[in-house]
Amino acid sequence: MKNMQVNANKNSNLSLAGALVLAGGAALALSQYFIWIHAPVEVTMGLVQKIFYLHLPAAWWGMICFFIVFCASIGFLLRRSPAMDQLAASAAEIGLLYSTMALATGSLWARVSWNTWWTWDPRLSTALIMWFIYAGYLVLRQSIDNRRKMRMVAAVLGIMAFLNVPLVFLSARMWRSIHPAVFASEGGGLEPEMLTTVIVCVVSLGLLTAGLLMFRFRQKNIQERVLDLYRH
Amino acid sequence: MKCRPLALAAKDLRLVFADGAGIIQPVLLGLILVFVFSLSTPVGEEVPAQAAAAIFWLATSFAVILVFNTLYSLEGANQARIGLLLSPMPVQYIWMGKALSGLVLLLTAQIFFLPAIIVFLGQDLMVSWPGALGTILLIDWGLVAVGSLLGAMSQGHSARDSLLSVVVFPLLVPLLLAGISMGSFFLGEGTGGEPGSWLGLVLAFNALFTGAALVLFPFIYGEY
Amino acid sequence: MQIGDNQEVLLELDRVSHFFDQRLVFRDVSLKLYRGSVLLLAGPNGAGKTTLVNIMSGLIKPVHGRVITGVPREKTAFLGHYTFIYPGLSALGNLRFWAGMYSLEISDHELAKILTTVGLKGFVHESAGTFSRGMAQRLSLARVLMLRPELMFLDEPATGMDYGSRRMLRDQILEARQNGAGIVWVSHSLEEDLDQADMVMYLENKKMAFLGRPADFRMLPAEAG
Repeated sequence: MKNMQVNANKNSNLSLAGALVLAGGAALALSQYFIWIHAPVEVTMGLVQKIFYLHLPAAWWGMICFFIVFCASIGFLLRRSPAMDQLAASAAEIGLLYSTMALATGSLWARVSWNTWWTWDPRLSTALIMWFIYAGYLVLRQSIDNRRKMRMVAAVLGIMAFLNVPLVFLSARMWRSIHPAVFASEGGGLEPEMLTTVIVCVVSLGLLTAGLLMFRFRQKNIQERVLDLYRH
Repeated sequence: MKCRPLALAAKDLRLVFADGAGIIQPVLLGLILVFVFSLSTPVGEEVPAQAAAAIFWLATSFAVILVFNTLYSLEGANQARIGLLLSPMPVQYIWMGKALSGLVLLLTAQIFFLPAIIVFLGQDLMVSWPGALGTILLIDWGLVAVGSLLGAMSQGHSARDSLLSVVVFPLLVPLLLAGISMGSFFLGEGTGGEPGSWLGLVLAFNALFTGAALVLFPFIYGEY
Repeated sequence: MQIGDNQEVLLELDRVSHFFDQRLVFRDVSLKLYRGSVLLLAGPNGAGKTTLVNIMSGLIKPVHGRVITGVPREKTAFLGHYTFIYPGLSALGNLRFWAGMYSLEISDHELAKILTTVGLKGFVHESAGTFSRGMAQRLSLARVLMLRPELMFLDEPATGMDYGSRRMLRDQILEARQNGAGIVWVSHSLEEDLDQADMVMYLENKKMAFLGRPADFRMLPAEAG
């Protein structure tokens, strides 16, 4: 009886994840309307500015994923529950994917806007350094055979990595003052239509992220259970 | 020998210096890095102070990896790690002991790196020796705090130095940026921002990661 | 020696169960270790004897249950397969280091005397890296004796020792018991060690299959395989 309930619970989780992914997909499709038709074309940059609508949500949700890694790592150290570890691993993977997207689009943006593929922009540099840290985190997870030790070490690294974010950002900003500024800081004022579009994009990517995260989490959970069957 | 972290560090240093390899390897690697880097500029041209500072800290970073790998592998030979864990002392003492011995080894390596960048990279102007040494000491503190924490994970399995460096280097970025910036200041390129604000950043880094290490070290070293 | 309720309990396990990840190692182990007694831990390979000793010594925290002991860490010693020896230090240097870790005030003269007890008289200043397995284990025993432990954990300490060393080890263990130490002893050679024990505990099928006197254990049909 209890087992059946657990299964039912798992299934409802699965359908929730599915619903989130579908909703996210639909919302992303809808957001195309906002991006291409609703929002005006930017005067100086032209069509390329549309990258922004992918860049910003990816960067934000990537950072939020890293924050989830941080929280789940703390949770793991407190509770020692493998589920927390699986959540951290899933969030790190998705976060890495998103920050890759953010970096690629950011680089394209830089090329068009400032005529250089890479510039020491504090936000961009922070994103790159975080990318390195979390790539290292995932490599580490692969390379330690002892699972108990791997989880522990990964959790510690997951905490350290996020603690480092403000320092990385601060140092990147201070570093820039050495170099001549390649560009003036971006103007803050967005057209209202652009703002709506950004919000739509952030929300739809958020739905997709939540769904993906749940799927990946479930996958890792099942994978571990299957591996446990072998180990008995 | 009352203070146990000190006793631990003394034991480590005795073992490392008796064997030699544990200190010669990082020194050699660092010197090679500095020498190879000197090839990056045409003969007769000056290497910018900032580049010299960067290579100094790069050599130091590699030394951090090698030094802590050596230090923690000392406990692996006959599982002395378990003996230490069973000893009546906080696990953090082990972190402290390793950080201390790591600091001494790192400073030893830097004694060789410093003349090397002066000789090979033609840096002959030093604005303030006390300031420069103080800066080095301060940044080394942050390096060994992180190194001693994450170096502990390298013990007892096949994870190699390369894995440790992939994980540790990006974490050290704020510290390295500060080191390079302040280093170029002390090497005469006085324009390098304000050393004061970098100093604040280094202190914040050290405080944050010393605290984190004290809390997190038992998880890395004490279990499984 | 008679074991009774009036004797001081040095260590108590209260329904201890342990898992590695999801896998059960053993469950519901409850026992008491009395002052001046030897508890022999036996069981087939992989029964979790080493894990149980690690839990008793405080190295591992059990998933369920409690380990209760009034003996401070300073008075607890561990002797296992691993010798905890630094090959780069001399025999004396090793002892001195561990004495430091236990904040023990002890003169070199006394340390040399302990080394003599374990038969390492001529090797005091010899580098421990040159020691054979048996000698290293003797040095490890010297470390344990140096601590004058009230609680001793022995995890197959005789592995790799020759006959003379084994006898010396046994004599030292019995002397420690005489002095009031409580001893937990994981053994592979049951026949040899059973006579020394006051209590036997047999771990099998993830649980405590037997806990009692050696005499009663002998009566059991063919369990001591």
